[in-house]
Amino acid sequence: MADQLTTNVNGHDRAITSAPETPLLYVLRNELRLSGPRYGCGLAQCGACAVLVDGAEVRSCITPIAATAGKKVTTLEGLPLLWAQSKGATADGGTLHPVQQAWIDEQVPQCGYCQSGMMIAAAELLATNPSPSVAQIKDAYTNKPPSPHLCRCGTYAAIIRAVQRASMTMKS
Amino acid sequence: MNVTLPSSIPTSSRALLPRLTRRGFLQSGGALIVSLATPRLGAQAPQASSSRSISIASWLELRDDGAIIVRTGRTEIGTGMSGFYPQIIAEELCVRPDTIRLIMGDTDRTPDGGYSAGFLSGADNLRKVGAYTYQALLRLASKKLRAPVDSLTVEDGIVSSNEQKISYTDLVRNQRLDLTIPVSGGTASVDPKSWNGLSGLDGLVVLGNPPTRPMSKYKIVGTSNPMPGIPDKVTGRTQWTCDVTLPNMLHARMVRPATLGSTLLSVGTLDKTIFPNAQVIVKKNLVAVVSPNEWEAVSASQTLAANTRWTNWAGLPTSDKLTEALRSHKWATPPEGKGSTEETVAALSASARQVSATYEQPFIKHAPIGPFVAVADVHADGSVTVWSHSANSQGLRAQIANTLSISVEKVVVRWLDHAGQFGRTTFGGDGAEGDAVILSQITGKPVRVQWTLQDDLAWSASSPGWVEDIACGLDANNHITALKSSFYSPQSNDARIVGAILAGMPTLQPKPGYWVATEWAYDRIAHRREEVYGMPNLGDDSPNGVGMRGIIMRTPGQRQQNFALESLLNEAAAATGTDPIAFRIRHTSDQRLIDLIHATAKAAEWQPRPSPNPNPRGTEGNQLHGRGMCLMVRQNACWAGIAEIIVTPSTGVIQVTRFTIGADPGKIINPRQLERCMLSGVVMGISEALKEETTFDTGKITSTLWTSYKILTMAEMPEIKTVQISRDDKGYGGGSEAANAVCPPAIAAAFHDATGIHSRRIPLTPAYVTRLLQIRRTAS
Ligand code: FES
Ligand code: FES
Repeated sequence: MADQLTTNVNGHDRAITSAPETPLLYVLRNELRLSGPRYGCGLAQCGACAVLVDGAEVRSCITPIAATAGKKVTTLEGLPLLWAQSKGATADGGTLHPVQQAWIDEQVPQCGYCQSGMMIAAAELLATNPSPSVAQIKDAYTNKPPSPHLCRCGTYAAIIRAVQRASMTMKS
Repeated sequence: MNVTLPSSIPTSSRALLPRLTRRGFLQSGGALIVSLATPRLGAQAPQASSSRSISIASWLELRDDGAIIVRTGRTEIGTGMSGFYPQIIAEELCVRPDTIRLIMGDTDRTPDGGYSAGFLSGADNLRKVGAYTYQALLRLASKKLRAPVDSLTVEDGIVSSNEQKISYTDLVRNQRLDLTIPVSGGTASVDPKSWNGLSGLDGLVVLGNPPTRPMSKYKIVGTSNPMPGIPDKVTGRTQWTCDVTLPNMLHARMVRPATLGSTLLSVGTLDKTIFPNAQVIVKKNLVAVVSPNEWEAVSASQTLAANTRWTNWAGLPTSDKLTEALRSHKWATPPEGKGSTEETVAALSASARQVSATYEQPFIKHAPIGPFVAVADVHADGSVTVWSHSANSQGLRAQIANTLSISVEKVVVRWLDHAGQFGRTTFGGDGAEGDAVILSQITGKPVRVQWTLQDDLAWSASSPGWVEDIACGLDANNHITALKSSFYSPQSNDARIVGAILAGMPTLQPKPGYWVATEWAYDRIAHRREEVYGMPNLGDDSPNGVGMRGIIMRTPGQRQQNFALESLLNEAAAATGTDPIAFRIRHTSDQRLIDLIHATAKAAEWQPRPSPNPNPRGTEGNQLHGRGMCLMVRQNACWAGIAEIIVTPSTGVIQVTRFTIGADPGKIINPRQLERCMLSGVVMGISEALKEETTFDTGKITSTLWTSYKILTMAEMPEIKTVQISRDDKGYGGGSEAANAVCPPAIAAAFHDATGIHSRRIPLTPAYVTRLLQIRRTAS
């Protein structure tokens, strides 16, 4: 039996019982019952499973849970807390992350399957570049390794508008 | 109490008249419940479509706590139906759409079935349900307020007559009221005589014509009601099909044959010390690994796949030789044609000049971002519950009952959200449900089957490749006098469940064939003959029964046939030195279409001139600029598309810089949702025009990753402009689906405008564009 592994997920330290080589995606979904990250390809080719690890986007489908030991994992469900913490607040008062609010206001999801990953990518982008141009948004969603974030329903135009809207809210 | 409501149904069909009955008074609670009177219950029933009796849930419940519950067997496929249906009911009932809770797709909790893409018939049903209910409520209020029905007005669920008011909730308080409404049709069932192997997929149809609100008076339809599920999807509260977990549930991964025709030689083994809880399941050519632990199932299936042996099979022509294979097929007489061959051929030979071409497209994929998933629980008594994201729950129920040889009453399909799939399950098949029920039946436990991306891209049905020969004849004034087309394609109606095929269990028997899908916009072309030729699936004699299955995909048939038709119109316009818009307007008298073309051209700042572009070189190096257009008429809607592109000859890359799309779908129900459908449809259409191709070798599909089946990325998306025209006098038209189909012809035309080369094939990949440019260089 390997040493017990502890990962901080959405603000809580969680003792993980899954085998250490299990990809983070399966641990989040099946052990911790978080349904934000979803299986799209299992090969780091689509972005549906994206989460933040210490603030940087990773593809949970190819990241062994052992690689996240002692780190902070944020899923879609943890974005409100991440936002509260960035404002210096400790409690999660139920306010959505501005990215989520913008996604609702701009009616981004069609089927919505890819959108958890899309919002994670937006949260990371806006944390590093608070005022991205359209070209920078397109670049972040297309050219950043390991792969483009793909949306088969074609919501790219709505995503660009929502990222810009979230950027405005986060700066004000 | 018994009240008969106004309706256009002749009173001779008494059993079909809508009627309101009070079942009694209650101490607490109370509701008005709208249910069905089916023809087979009536004395004059036309011969009942089947003798099955299924207890059917109500359409609508108006409860005394103010809740209005509406049920439809149709589902949300990402195009906004879940927003439109409440609008339509709310309009007739005079309530706010947000007071309506919609239950969709569950076969045990919804009444009607029907196609999820078939919004028009779905809307028509709910509109009538709302109208019948409204009439019933008015009658109740009229009694309560002692005022004649025509003196009543309703706003936000409050009925008023002069000074008096009463709410809907007070009208139903403490009573159980039943409103039965007349319907025809039945439930979906497997039917070997039907073209796709199923009948009853339309579901139930509400009969009669209850008085409905005139479109010009609409207050709710025409506004941008948000899609109700969005906040839950954004916050992580949605329960997706992939989230279903049941006690004792096993996770399964499939181990598919080596090719689309291979049969099992020997199944591999698993080392119990490495995979202690994994179990191998085999039924004929269906092989799977199940485990309570999903990751164990994933890893074990990879190990098993590596040591399982299959026969070889080489029954496919390869994607490189697809066109040759279609050409060499011995086509029977066309199953369907429109127009007179004789007159058209005569007019063609009498014409001053002819323009002709052959267009083609390879196989493409629906390619959902989430590969298919399903959970099935086969209970000890043989009944089954399936959790699915099928777009036709009743069609799926019929197929599962058929595969397990049980009655449809024993199957419940529960519908949940999942990734958009663009028509793949329109007939209820082609998902993971078959695998799941078979594995659950064998193991006696609930089973969740998650297909991998490779399973999905390699083993699901595809939209088949096709070839079309098309020619038109022009008179001395450059007017088209005749047009003749012949479309050749493998069938695209094979909704058999792949798990059932591999396990050797009963499946549907779809008939090979095809249909004329174009809707004709050019009434000023005097003679036309359209023929379609269908053939069986490629590799239909595959030993395991699968082969290259063909199934419809978004804007089916018309997407393909309109590409050929509009491309030919663009070639004819260019051959005659005419602006493509002016050329089209000469050939139609449809004012609705002409208005839309003008509005779209204006938004795109279209300057009339013939193609090719006399001045294609922009400021940057040797890039070539072009623009092109196309139109389409479909389901009582008009569409126009204008593409502006830049071609980089050194790389062969085409960038669409701007796409302007115009739609007139009659009365626009929800401008915001229509805009979303137009924007996203354009992305999918550009993806098809520039990138998408399913490749296969002699036995299997080889484009099984996102790196080999490429779809459009965000950086490749152009600026998109939308133009909408709403009309109160044309009824509803189809708005959610067609936008993808107006991209390929406009982009191909823009490519000709930029380069002077007619591209007669899509996708216009860099390799293909480079080849076209090379051919021209060698020729000149
Ligand atoms: S599922 Fe991880 S990138 Fe596709
Ligand atoms: S919204 Fe459906 S895949 Fe992106």
